[in-house]
Amino acid sequence: MKKACLAVTVLFCFFILLFIYPLSSDARPIKVGIIDCYSGPASTYTNDVRDAFKLAVDKINAKGGVLGRKIEFTTRDSKFKVDIGLSAAKELIMRENVDILMGTINSALALGISDLCKKEKLPFFATFSKSAKITGAKGHRYVFSMTENTALAGKAGAVGLAKRPYVKYWIAGDDYEYGHAIADGVWNNLKQLKPEVKLLGQSWWKVGEPDFTPYITAILSAKPDAVIIATGGRDCVPFLKAAQATGFNKRMPFFMHTATELSTLKPLGLNAPEGVIGTSNYHFFYPDTPENNSFVKEFKNVYGRVPKVGALYGYITANFIIKGYEKAGKVNSEKLIDAIEGMTIDSPIGNLTLRAYDHQVMFPMYMGVTTKVPGYDFLMVKDLVTLPGKDVMPTIAEIKKARGK
Amino acid sequence: MEFASNITLSALFQQVLVGLSKTTILFIVASGLSLILGVLRIPNVAHGSLYMIGAFLTYTVAMFLGGGSTGFWLALILAPIGVGLVSIIIERGLFCHLYEREHLMLLLFTFAFTLVFGDLVKLVWGSDYRSISAPEIFQGSFSVMGLPFPRYNLFLLVIGPLVALGLWLLTNKTKIGKISRAAAVDREMVGAVGINVSWVFCFVFVIGCVLAGLGGALVAPTQNITQGMDHTIIIEAFLIVIIGGLGNMWGAVLGALIFGLTDSIGILVWPQFAIVFPYTAVVIVLVFFPRGLLKSTW
Repeated sequence: MKKACLAVTVLFCFFILLFIYPLSSDARPIKVGIIDCYSGPASTYTNDVRDAFKLAVDKINAKGGVLGRKIEFTTRDSKFKVDIGLSAAKELIMRENVDILMGTINSALALGISDLCKKEKLPFFATFSKSAKITGAKGHRYVFSMTENTALAGKAGAVGLAKRPYVKYWIAGDDYEYGHAIADGVWNNLKQLKPEVKLLGQSWWKVGEPDFTPYITAILSAKPDAVIIATGGRDCVPFLKAAQATGFNKRMPFFMHTATELSTLKPLGLNAPEGVIGTSNYHFFYPDTPENNSFVKEFKNVYGRVPKVGALYGYITANFIIKGYEKAGKVNSEKLIDAIEGMTIDSPIGNLTLRAYDHQVMFPMYMGVTTKVPGYDFLMVKDLVTLPGKDVMPTIAEIKKARGK
Repeated sequence: MEFASNITLSALFQQVLVGLSKTTILFIVASGLSLILGVLRIPNVAHGSLYMIGAFLTYTVAMFLGGGSTGFWLALILAPIGVGLVSIIIERGLFCHLYEREHLMLLLFTFAFTLVFGDLVKLVWGSDYRSISAPEIFQGSFSVMGLPFPRYNLFLLVIGPLVALGLWLLTNKTKIGKISRAAAVDREMVGAVGINVSWVFCFVFVIGCVLAGLGGALVAPTQNITQGMDHTIIIEAFLIVIIGGLGNMWGAVLGALIFGLTDSIGILVWPQFAIVFPYTAVVIVLVFFPRGLLKSTW
């Protein structure tokens, strides 16, 4: 008798669940899968993307979500490896049924996921990979770039450098895709803007080169007017250290994309070279607008640190998704894509537009020079110049050419 | 197009000086590896991890003491000692039970340690870049024939020979050094004359690891203290030990000199392809001296 009772109860519960499940799945949360490298040196960039994304998502969820549905996200650590990241992407699509994928600081992985999402017809927001191919040669309907890329940075560097009086240049950088792409970007644009420039020579070092002193002394003996340093990520810090130790910055002006970024300057403390020309998408102190200040305050309240450039990328990704669904009026991938093509949103650095043709966010670039400011225990940036997004973006004709059309 | 375009005598001299200071770090790390390889016959892949831990400990000690000069000098002493303590624990706890195993097992075992240490470093110090400054008297640079030479590199140039001398005295002039050299040649015989070989091995292992820690501490002001610095150094250190002759300390000196100098001169001569110079040198050495330049203890 008891057993029968139990069986009936279990059966009853089972049926209730069966009935409730389809009801609740109607108000199922919008699921975002984030694949990024959360181990190793890259995580100093990627943690900010995730944290700022969470900040924006928590805010909208507290208001009841988008179209009455909450946004949920799950993260997967790619360990900077393409195969691990790709299988995580497949797992998120098949098992977690995510509506959107985002992430990756690794360009090769971003291109891989982009390819997968093209087949699966799922929107993918690339948040930190700088390869111009993502929205350039390999761009398609389902991929969006929420970060600047090598084409943008290269053009911005060239626009800024062309205004300075240097003629004889030396190029040095990381011997891999990113380094060469940045160097080519700067150099090709610079030659167009200022045809009299001359390239004296180039040095290329391996990624993760521990000691740059021999490279610097070799460059100094060639006596160029200025040097373009095409190095990124973790190599920025040791390079600037070697520049400080050899007095390179005092003997020769040099440009390095991301040299003015907080992720680069903070670890160096006050013992960093002054006068380095750099470009970045974001500074917590610039632009000095109420929007940016309130974003910094909000971020600092929750995480106890000031936001770095990755935070901007994470924050706008969340906002493009939220605003996109609101405009689409429906949780549907195709509708979402139609909605955000050409869309403009508010961001801590002002209005940002996603270019409809190539799905690239048109970021302004801030060029400045590192300097000491009393009251900060790391270097700040002075003489900031805004290079507007429309000036530094590759033209649509260039994108078409890259795509072989 | 720019092959050998900017070689002047002063630039060449400069590159040699800079190369020699890089050699110092390579030598200190490689000599520790070579010592362990020669006496204990352990290809210690985790050597690079201990170097990384040395650098992180230097950072912690220096920051704890306010980040100034005294902090750095104390860290330079305390960090290698800290690494030494870690190595005593792993040697007494684990390695000492495994000396009789074959090399492949030991290789895999030490490789496992690199993974464990890698994650431990991430747990303890996080994944941000760390950086410390050189003590004030060694900051900046001075001019050598018109080109800048960092003061800290000069300090490295002094330290390198001192460490080499210290190691030579230790292995040739002290009793324990002589015993350990004997143990490297024939460990059963050493055991047979009533010496506790196990403790001799422990001593050598710790000295080797302290050298890795010292290398990490010395390199800390010149570069990024971050995860991944273990991989770079361990490959270079192994190459140096192999071209110098396994287990031979002077081989480590010679290997480090070849590696460091071809690297820095290559940068001057052919900057676009500088990366290949030291590795080409390794290949050339191995083609003509497959067992290394100097006599190996294996």
